[in-house]
Amino acid sequence: MSARNVTIHYNDKVVRQFLLATIIWGVVGMLVGVLIASQLNFWRANFDLPWLTFGRLRPLHTNAVIFAFVGNMMFAGVYYSTQRLVKARLASDFLSSLHFWGWQAIIVSAAITLPLGFSRGKEYAELIWPINIAVAGIWVVFAVNFFWTLARRQERNLYVAIWFYIGTIITVAMLYIVNHLSLPTSLTHSYPIFGGVQDALVQWWYGHNAVAFFLTTPILGIMYYFLPKAAERPVYSYRLSVIHFWSLVFVYIWAGPHHLLNTALPDWLQTLGMTFSLMLWAPSWGGMLNGLLTLRGAWDKLRTEPVLKFFAAAVTFYGMATFEGPLLSIKSVNALGHYTDWIIGHVHAGALGWNGFMAAGMIYWLVPRLWNKPLYSTALANIHFWLGIVGILLYVAAMWVSGITQGLMLNATAEGGTVLAYPNFLDTLNSIRVLMGLRIVGGGLYLVGFLLLGYNVLRSIRGARAVDGVAEVFVDDTPSPRVGVAGTIFNPPVIFSALGTLFACVWMFGGDFLQLVGLFGTALCVILAWLHFESRSRGWADWYERLLVNAAPFTVLTFLAVAAGGLIQIIPTVVVNRAQNVEDRIQVPYTPLELAGRDIYVSEGCYNCHSQMIRTLVPDVMRYGDYSRLGESIYDHPYQWGSRRIGPDLARVGGKYPDSWHYHHMLNPRAISPGSNMPNYPWLFERDTDVAALPSKLAVQRTLGVPYPDWSEAELKAQVDEQAAGIAARLRAADILVEPSREIVALIAYLQKLGKSEPVTPQVASAKP
Amino acid sequence: MSAHAPQPPQKPGEDPIRPHVFDGIAEYDKRLPNWWLMTLYASIAFAVVYWMATQHFGGKSDGEKVTAHIQGIRAAKLAAAGSYDDAALWEMSRNASIVAAGAATYASTCVACHGANLEGGIGLNLADAQWKHGGAPTTIMRAVAEGIAGTGMPPWGPMLGPKKTAEVTAFVLSKHPAP
Repeated sequence: MSARNVTIHYNDKVVRQFLLATIIWGVVGMLVGVLIASQLNFWRANFDLPWLTFGRLRPLHTNAVIFAFVGNMMFAGVYYSTQRLVKARLASDFLSSLHFWGWQAIIVSAAITLPLGFSRGKEYAELIWPINIAVAGIWVVFAVNFFWTLARRQERNLYVAIWFYIGTIITVAMLYIVNHLSLPTSLTHSYPIFGGVQDALVQWWYGHNAVAFFLTTPILGIMYYFLPKAAERPVYSYRLSVIHFWSLVFVYIWAGPHHLLNTALPDWLQTLGMTFSLMLWAPSWGGMLNGLLTLRGAWDKLRTEPVLKFFAAAVTFYGMATFEGPLLSIKSVNALGHYTDWIIGHVHAGALGWNGFMAAGMIYWLVPRLWNKPLYSTALANIHFWLGIVGILLYVAAMWVSGITQGLMLNATAEGGTVLAYPNFLDTLNSIRVLMGLRIVGGGLYLVGFLLLGYNVLRSIRGARAVDGVAEVFVDDTPSPRVGVAGTIFNPPVIFSALGTLFACVWMFGGDFLQLVGLFGTALCVILAWLHFESRSRGWADWYERLLVNAAPFTVLTFLAVAAGGLIQIIPTVVVNRAQNVEDRIQVPYTPLELAGRDIYVSEGCYNCHSQMIRTLVPDVMRYGDYSRLGESIYDHPYQWGSRRIGPDLARVGGKYPDSWHYHHMLNPRAISPGSNMPNYPWLFERDTDVAALPSKLAVQRTLGVPYPDWSEAELKAQVDEQAAGIAARLRAADILVEPSREIVALIAYLQKLGKSEPVTPQVASAKP
Repeated sequence: MSAHAPQPPQKPGEDPIRPHVFDGIAEYDKRLPNWWLMTLYASIAFAVVYWMATQHFGGKSDGEKVTAHIQGIRAAKLAAAGSYDDAALWEMSRNASIVAAGAATYASTCVACHGANLEGGIGLNLADAQWKHGGAPTTIMRAVAEGIAGTGMPPWGPMLGPKKTAEVTAFVLSKHPAP
């Protein structure tokens, strides 16, 4: 046994950098949020400028808040706490610097490309492929820096915060890479390799778990460090940490399909999405309990300490949002809430209430320590807190009322249920105008509070000298017990979990006999595990203690836990023969002009307001036509099912109106639809369609399995010209003169194609390639 | 373990604390709250039962249920639509409250294409005496309900229902002299 005292100089420079970046990008992200909230109520706030329209700025807002604001905050918190929890300076100053500057460069390039209309057309995954590669690269830099630091740690045991950081790093890498797999058609454009339902499933496996592993697990880790530090109280329960960590990382991954309830997604996936979301309630509340109950004995400090105020409110909002999530995942509740502002309220309870307040508490706690000077003003921090609380409550309450109001109006019927009570979509939009206004006020208050934080920090650090933490720590050099490969895998907890999951899969997916085998096998595993645990609980605990001093085996087990759900849900959908995945209709591939129009639709971000998915719900079918079949979007790279209906669904809009209707509507929506909040799109009438890009686009589509013939460039051009001339001629008949080369012509071609499919029988379908 | 290893603070009468401190952070090891465990177990039990109910013993698919419901609505509408004939529609067109109801529907649904004064635009002029697709009241009502294929006039019957369709027809007829 050898033990010694060592002095560690922490790398706090990179923490300060990330912390200041958090504040700057937080202001930017929230400012854009207030702007786009205003655009929804006052269409003139789109300024008739392409780079300021809602469809392009909304991706900027979401990406800025998630990856820039919370991202920088996460890196600051992870780097500060990890160094202290593992008693080691960050492994590499160079990698730390590269991580910081690389991430800022990514954010800046996102802030430039998104308003310019460069987009992959998938939510929170809009950035174009060169930036995707940069993100993955910088994430690897982060991972190397983190795990290298773990390898050099002088504290053998891994604290619960570190578990959550490990889960974050490996899971985000897995999700990000799979959901961004694309084939480039040019330097700035690519098509996702998945199409239709596959793309939808992968997208929400990613999208839902971006919430889980970018906005939740790292912040829980940060909570586990900063909250007990600020409260100066022991964490409430270690065993709750163990149970809620493993259940959270295992269950979260499966819940993605709850974003696609009542859609064309196969029923078994919808069912898994709903039941796993309900099972996620308790694991999530485990984190809330460990946060709130750690404050026991420190509640009196809430009166004087803004840091604890923010943490207590943040954890409460976390509890509220993670109760609301499972509630919204119940199919019948989702039928009302999906596509409405209710979801917007839900995510902002998470982003502003949980993430925003955790960030504020952490910043107020860190600034005096990183600059060795007391906070400039506690009073200002308290004002920030109350402005934030009032702002977010106003925001969330307005969105609840708005979402439920619009949902009820859209679903309401009259005359004995035979007709819609509000057939005009705009009636439902214009009845929530006041609530959309209240959202601007609530969001504005929150932003003002955050600006106070910026001012407070600026005054605090002005003239102050940055100081890096130095700690005299006690290091125990006794060699750690190793678990090895066998010890990692062949031990009761892992074997029972793996066998139980395996049998459960046999039960869920097996035929008649196998079903029973699976059911009994699962039950047997649960009973045996319970009996074993009751008699040998010491053994289970000892094994886990050994695991906690072995970072690599811990990481491997975490990866297996998060990988299981995705594998079981995605692989059957991806490998299944496309022909079996079409139901009774199959999409007619887009003509080249229609494909060019579709890329304009994606680039303008139309999916931010318009869905292309008529759900298996009576009011949806009454309003938009027959429900959408899987086959109707099977060739869509990317899928465009959407997640919010600020305007009506467009899945069957093709042929509903004449070309001239669309022409006038895109030029000035209010000329056709009085009361509409859609922006004008004058630039589509001046710009020419990018026909030159079509050959490489079609080549990529062919590679992806869309049945396009191998047209020569001349044939392709001739097709485009012929279809464009036809549309221009029809418009001329309605007294509209337009050059056939304009973007509006391609967009009309695309819109008029929506919903055009051909019926198939399974026999015919299986004969197709 | 050496004598100067950091030890967690332990007050008498407090719950046991784990023998490890991370940068000053200690951990209790308290029992999981029973209500929390029950929530977890209940949600797992529900997941098992719900899967069996929907996947193993489920009846019709969501799509089949919706289609059946919509067919019921169509049947009810067809039964209701039969009660309007030319004479009834002309009579309705002279009834102020029905015409006002039709005018409201026209203003929200038809005005964009047919103009505020029925003068036409994207759609045809409805105020003149020309009826390209037939001028009999029931023919006009059918055009509203079922649309005119190939012209951009969509079928409004499914959205409006027979009552509103008849009202809006009556409103159009109110701008024309009765026979």
